[in-house]
Amino acid sequence: MAFLDNSGDIILDAVLTDTGRMRLAKGDGTFKIVKFALGDDEINYGLFNKNDSRGSAYYDLDIMQTPVLEAFTNNTSLLKHKLISMPQTNLLYLPVVKLDDQSGGNEAAVFSGSDIASNTIASTSGTPGTGVYLLPSDDSTLNTLKGFSITGVLDSSKAFLKAVQGLDTTEISYTRTISSDLRETQYIVQVDNRLARVVKSDNSDNMATVSYIDDDQIASYYFSTQDSEYVHTLDPPSTQPDIVAGPQGSEVMFNLYRTEEIETSNSLFEELGGGDGSLMKIDSVEFYYIDTNIRITGATTGSSIDIPVRVMKKK
Amino acid sequence: MASTFKTFVSDDIANTRTLLHEAIPITGSIVNGATYTDAQSGEEKNIKTYGHGMFQSVYDYPYASSSANHIFDLAYGTSATIQRTENANEQVSNVADTNPSKSKRLNIYNQMGQVLVGHDVSGNIRKFDTDGDLTGGATHDNAFFINFARLLGKDEIKKGTFSMEVGTTEEIGAVRFDNTCIISDDGAESDYRVNSPAGEYGILKLTNGTNGNVQPNFVGGANNNCGLIFYQAGIVVLNPLIWALGNSGANYNPDALGSEEEGNDTGEDELGHDPGFLTNGVKWLSDGTGLVTSLNGDNVSNDEILNGLRARIKNIQFSNTTELNSTIYFCRVGHNDFNYSSNPTYLENSKIKVKNKTTDAPVSYITTVGLYSADNEMLAVAKLSEPLRKDPTNDITLRVRLDY
Repeated sequence: MAFLDNSGDIILDAVLTDTGRMRLAKGDGTFKIVKFALGDDEINYGLFNKNDSRGSAYYDLDIMQTPVLEAFTNNTSLLKHKLISMPQTNLLYLPVVKLDDQSGGNEAAVFSGSDIASNTIASTSGTPGTGVYLLPSDDSTLNTLKGFSITGVLDSSKAFLKAVQGLDTTEISYTRTISSDLRETQYIVQVDNRLARVVKSDNSDNMATVSYIDDDQIASYYFSTQDSEYVHTLDPPSTQPDIVAGPQGSEVMFNLYRTEEIETSNSLFEELGGGDGSLMKIDSVEFYYIDTNIRITGATTGSSIDIPVRVMKKK
Repeated sequence: MASTFKTFVSDDIANTRTLLHEAIPITGSIVNGATYTDAQSGEEKNIKTYGHGMFQSVYDYPYASSSANHIFDLAYGTSATIQRTENANEQVSNVADTNPSKSKRLNIYNQMGQVLVGHDVSGNIRKFDTDGDLTGGATHDNAFFINFARLLGKDEIKKGTFSMEVGTTEEIGAVRFDNTCIISDDGAESDYRVNSPAGEYGILKLTNGTNGNVQPNFVGGANNNCGLIFYQAGIVVLNPLIWALGNSGANYNPDALGSEEEGNDTGEDELGHDPGFLTNGVKWLSDGTGLVTSLNGDNVSNDEILNGLRARIKNIQFSNTTELNSTIYFCRVGHNDFNYSSNPTYLENSKIKVKNKTTDAPVSYITTVGLYSADNEMLAVAKLSEPLRKDPTNDITLRVRLDY
């Protein structure tokens, strides 16, 4: 009679993240671990070959051979994609969060690959599509950008940021109501706090309340369906929607407002953007710029999207 | 309801305490200059001396290099009054002297004394007692102090593991280790003292090494007590009288203590020690450039004394202890937990790639465990060595240990 395999329990050594160390050093009681999450950042599910003729044992052979990286201690670099718990095992579709850059008024600026490479674009090249949003760092920059025929300038009269959540498939009719289990009700918006604050989509002066700012100056904002100015539950539309092809869950919308630091100083443009050595030209007008990402994550379903934003300052 | 977190219940968190030990061998060639002495200048590049002359620092590599690690310091101290070993009632003063090194020895002794053995009821700094009985008895009136760096000693030296072999041959040079003795705290794991303000300490004993000639009843009157080792402080207190010259040469010989009437003496030195003690005519203190004639004499610097000690250290070894406090988080992943993923590659047009039809079991692969605060900040992270398959047919308990 063989021995029983008792290797079911797995012991792992954890390392503190930089935020963990910071909170431990503060000694104010904020270092308290209360929950856990699991991630699969290294996994490419495209390697799952469910048609392998040798049988199901071979479906995930490539995935199981994926080498796993050691832990980063930067808290924002790990668990970008979390595993999800759902009581149902019969789901075939999961919702996604998609950037709505098609709606009137909030189209992103379009820079083609060559535009980005040369950092010189013509003001007339903007058409609705994917690209980066432009955040003016002061009124002079804003007025200059407004004078161009480009889209994606984050301002009350221009664009704002909007993401829609739902099942992006035509296999399920958009007229169906999404399951309550799959409808996102809370979003986390992460912004570099040195560069921008989150405000309402009409860019009114009311700054959203930041939930916390980590040691890397990444500010996290939580918005739920109770924050009706930011999150809306979506009912089945009467016509085929543009962004999410199937049943829709909810949407989150907001705008960004420049920080005082980037409005009054060039130092961050020198430090993070390359300063005079890396200028961008629109119709021969030169701008300092910093590229950053705004991350929107569904707090319930875990799906997320990174939205590129270019902070601009007229030279 | 979908979720990406699972909250710990009280039964999921446990605390443990583990003692980790490392064996620390220190080879004498590092300490006595054999390895890093410049052939031309004779400079010992891994030994740092100071203008104040109160102690020396020993490194494991030339200390000017950023690769060097500080391993221990050496100092020599003498008390204000030294009892004659053969007559506890007779004391001689050790204060008035023209040698500036002497006052520093006194300062060192008093500093180490107040930290390691504290004060008596009158507020006077105690001397180092040879048997740990502070109510009386013989004391180590002068002592070498070996202060191990925390890099080596960690939280404490493991009791019963300290051992040090020293040469006792009169001359230094090639023959220095022809005769050796062993200084150790054998048996201290079950026999140590706790009446020190600096934690626990053990008694160091002297035994024979190579061609040894250790005589019984060394300093403390019994048991060859030759020093003390303070485990948490990482400090060894070593009585230099183990090198006292006896009639026959190398090791201590109680006959050499003798009174002047015993016939082989030429008179006491200024500290009241008889010839045959380290403090008079001690050839062993030669640092290679000359002979030091009197340990406490006017013309002896502390560095010369410490050079003499280093030259006679053959090896030192001990085990250190690191106290590891751990919290173990039992991440219990139930059969219905974490079977789906928010990984962008998990979906294609919102359809789950690992399923063909609704009745197929969802599958995910765990590579990372994150430990979170209530406000969703990741405070600690652990990685698996390989992806771990998770589907509704299995449940997993991941034990994540966080050490402090």
